[in-house]
Amino acid sequence: MRRHLLLTVCGVGLIAGAQGAMAQSCEIKIGGMGPMSGGAAQWGLAMSGAAELAAAEVNAEGGLKMGDKKCKVIVVPYDSKYTADGAAAGANALAAQGIKIIVGPVGSPEATGIKPVAARNEQLTWNAAYAKNALEPKYPLAFHVAPAPAVWADPMIKKALQVFPMKSVALVAPNDQAGTDIVAVDAEAYRANGIKTTEEYYQRGTTNFAPIVTRILAAKPDVVDTASSPPGDAGVIVKQLRLAGFTGPIGRLGGPGTEEIIRVAGGIDVLKDFFWYETVATGDPKVQEIDALYRKFLGKEPVGGTALWGNLPAARMTLKAISAAGTADDANKVAAAMRLLPVEDPNMGKGHWTGKKQYGIAQELHFPYGFGVIKDGKNLGVTRMEAKPD
Amino acid sequence: MEQFLQAGIIGISLGAQYALLALGFTLIFGILGVVNFAHGGFYMLGGYVAFSCVSMAGLPYPIAVLVAVAVTAALGWVFELFLLERLVDDHLATLMLTLGLYLIVSTGLLTAFGPLSMDFRFPVSGALHLGPVYVPKENLIVLAICLAAIGALWLVLFRTDLGRALRALADDRAVAMAQGMRPRVLFPAAFALATGLAGLTGALVTPILALSPGVGDPVLATSFLTVILGGLGSLGGAALAAFIVGLVEAYSSVYFGGSIGALILFVLVLLLLVFRPTGLLGRETRGA
Repeated sequence: MRRHLLLTVCGVGLIAGAQGAMAQSCEIKIGGMGPMSGGAAQWGLAMSGAAELAAAEVNAEGGLKMGDKKCKVIVVPYDSKYTADGAAAGANALAAQGIKIIVGPVGSPEATGIKPVAARNEQLTWNAAYAKNALEPKYPLAFHVAPAPAVWADPMIKKALQVFPMKSVALVAPNDQAGTDIVAVDAEAYRANGIKTTEEYYQRGTTNFAPIVTRILAAKPDVVDTASSPPGDAGVIVKQLRLAGFTGPIGRLGGPGTEEIIRVAGGIDVLKDFFWYETVATGDPKVQEIDALYRKFLGKEPVGGTALWGNLPAARMTLKAISAAGTADDANKVAAAMRLLPVEDPNMGKGHWTGKKQYGIAQELHFPYGFGVIKDGKNLGVTRMEAKPD
Repeated sequence: MEQFLQAGIIGISLGAQYALLALGFTLIFGILGVVNFAHGGFYMLGGYVAFSCVSMAGLPYPIAVLVAVAVTAALGWVFELFLLERLVDDHLATLMLTLGLYLIVSTGLLTAFGPLSMDFRFPVSGALHLGPVYVPKENLIVLAICLAAIGALWLVLFRTDLGRALRALADDRAVAMAQGMRPRVLFPAAFALATGLAGLTGALVTPILALSPGVGDPVLATSFLTVILGGLGSLGGAALAAFIVGLVEAYSSVYFGGSIGALILFVLVLLLLVFRPTGLLGRETRGA
């Protein structure tokens, strides 16, 4: 009898202790995914860094409000290596840890790889891909960080023509979906503005672009556009183009990464004349404050360049949606809450839900973006371009 | 014609870089019978050591290159002596050891330097424009150093006692040991020689292209492809194949584009393996 009593007391004590521990350790885990090594590392670090900053902001206020309690947000990073299999494996690895909300991945191959797997695992994902199918109505748990070139390529080219008159352009990008989809859309936009185009593709993993540069120069283009080539690749292409004697402007209607391109190319004087698309209006002081916030909340230097700024609204809205849904374990509820949120951000201002026209599903964040110019080796800054609804 | 000449120049320049990598790779296989999966790691390490010497220690670039060679050779020597040597005849174990070393090196560099490319520039820039074609000055310097390194390696292997001993071990280890050759001394020396070559290539090539923690990945694939084409273990074959690979890559990429160019190279190697499994100058395949 005494033995039974002792066991019962111990059992009750254990259960009570476990419940107490659960009440104290209210934690929410979300994934932060993207390439964190290789030529596109900057983009993945920017995605994961945005999730970490958004989490640090709410944690500094005692945690994310979930009903009547506040929970600490923890970001679990995953290097998806800019590959379809990397992102798919990442979705499964995070699902194994019970994570249903993922800020990331980044590029088109990753988006292609993660969508079916995340749908099976019932995980909400974001991507920054420029693929023609970055969003699809059959994957309602997938969201898009910013619009693809179909939305901004034409206004960007019109701005570029004012600074760098051109009659022909050569577009260069990797030969996978991340390259071909973007180049196809960019090329169409150039042609619609009366500019002749040629397209060059390379195998991802190429380190020496001298043969590709020879092909590009054979077409004698006025401008070379590095489109969605990873910043590391684009830097080498620029360096080798200049060595080969190309003096025309370089364009970049693709992913961000100007700092990395300048560094790899050998300096701003080598880049000389350059125009590029920025996912956010980086000239806006309010947007630039994000770096200071990063230092304040995370205590380290920001990584990922301006891509970090572009990804932050998605990460913040994800946490808002989790709070509104009252759960991080049911991606469907979080997605439903997200769709009802107004598109606004303390640093970016107001934007729109877009994507219905291009993808058939309005799950794309569209904030003001930017047109950047370097002329004669001088950075002239980024002009703000207003976001428009579908 | 302009494109043809330019492709030839690019091909020779690529070939020189591939030769330095492939010679080290094939040296290790030829003498130790080990496929060194860490070869790309030593290439990367060479680049980062040279970069650190220049940007952090303020050393002149030529000294930084010598330091990179010394560090990668020393690491190769230590690795062979204390880890690889114990299991040198176990192919699976050496595969795992070298692959493990590569992961340690690449992850270590990623942790220490971060994932982004370094601002590492070759001290000489610009190109010589000869009519319609151009030759980057940095590529000319790398080509000259490469040819000198190949010559020096040839002298070491064919004109010194060390070289004779290494070749004897490669030909028949049992007989060589019976003649007094000591693998415990010579194998680490051969490994250090090979990894020093990889380090030299990394220190020379990364400031021309880019230096980031992922740059070692394609190196292994290129080295493998080159030594298979030349004949595993054949130094002459590796040097010849390196220039063939460089020229094929350059001409096919220039005339057919980047995607088909890569494909042509692999098709070439596949065909060679079907019709001449020993490679261009390989005598016989080493028993497993």
